[in-house]
Amino acid sequence: MFGSIKIAMVLIMLAGAGGGFVYVKNIKADLATSEANNLKLEQSVASQKAVIEQQANDFKKILEINKDLEKTNKTLAAEFAALDKRFNKINGRGEVRDLGDLAVKRSESVERVVNNATKKAMRCVEIAMGAELTEKEINATLKSEINSECPSIANPNYVPYK
Amino acid sequence: MYRISNILIIALLAVAVSGCSTVRELQIFEQEVPREKLNLSHPEAVKMEPLQWVIITSENAEEVFAKLKEQGKDPVLFGLSDKDYEFLSKNFAQIRAYMIKQRQIIDQYKEYYESEDEKTEK
Repeated sequence: MFGSIKIAMVLIMLAGAGGGFVYVKNIKADLATSEANNLKLEQSVASQKAVIEQQANDFKKILEINKDLEKTNKTLAAEFAALDKRFNKINGRGEVRDLGDLAVKRSESVERVVNNATKKAMRCVEIAMGAELTEKEINATLKSEINSECPSIANPNYVPYK
Repeated sequence: MYRISNILIIALLAVAVSGCSTVRELQIFEQEVPREKLNLSHPEAVKMEPLQWVIITSENAEEVFAKLKEQGKDPVLFGLSDKDYEFLSKNFAQIRAYMIKQRQIIDQYKEYYESEDEKTEK
């Protein structure tokens, strides 16, 4: 009777020791997994930070692009206003310029002006489509040298007098 | 004998229960699929044909038509009033401005997306 109790006690102790060993082993494995998880979380945080930084850069870039587009819009609006002014200029007597009347009185000179302006306007379309600028166009700095229809794209070195 | 086996079963269960892991490994899936580049180039600029405007009034009409005949052209002109000529010029300017804006927008899109691709490729 006592012999079997002893055997049982020894077995229980062995089982307890084995259980303890397995428990410690599992704890170690859990610790290693936790460490790996921490590393992954840290990497995750780092990549999130990189994403946030990228987004900030993108917003900055978008703002710059919008600013550029706005600048182009303003320049083109100013050129359109200049064209409108050429047609509806107020003369010395306070009257609006009448192109038709001018053409009746000075047909040849108006014809020449109209044809020159058309030639320039055609060139503007070519440039707007991506045609390369000529040396003459690039180097134009005086009002007499520029393409008055679209100086913003035809004459990059021309600074209009304000 | 039964008592000993019961004790053994309980001890084994205790060991088994203590061995259950509570921490699980995180699974993070990342798969980057590179986007195909569009790489479209702008269409080639068109060379515009030259145009010649003719101003015709009641006074110079005969002279203008005679000149056309001299040049071997048909004695006919497609006319616009001064106001319509103004509208045509303004329409032309607006089309041109639209083209400039569109081209700039396309260039900005290209720079915004494709320049980033080039950076990451390096």
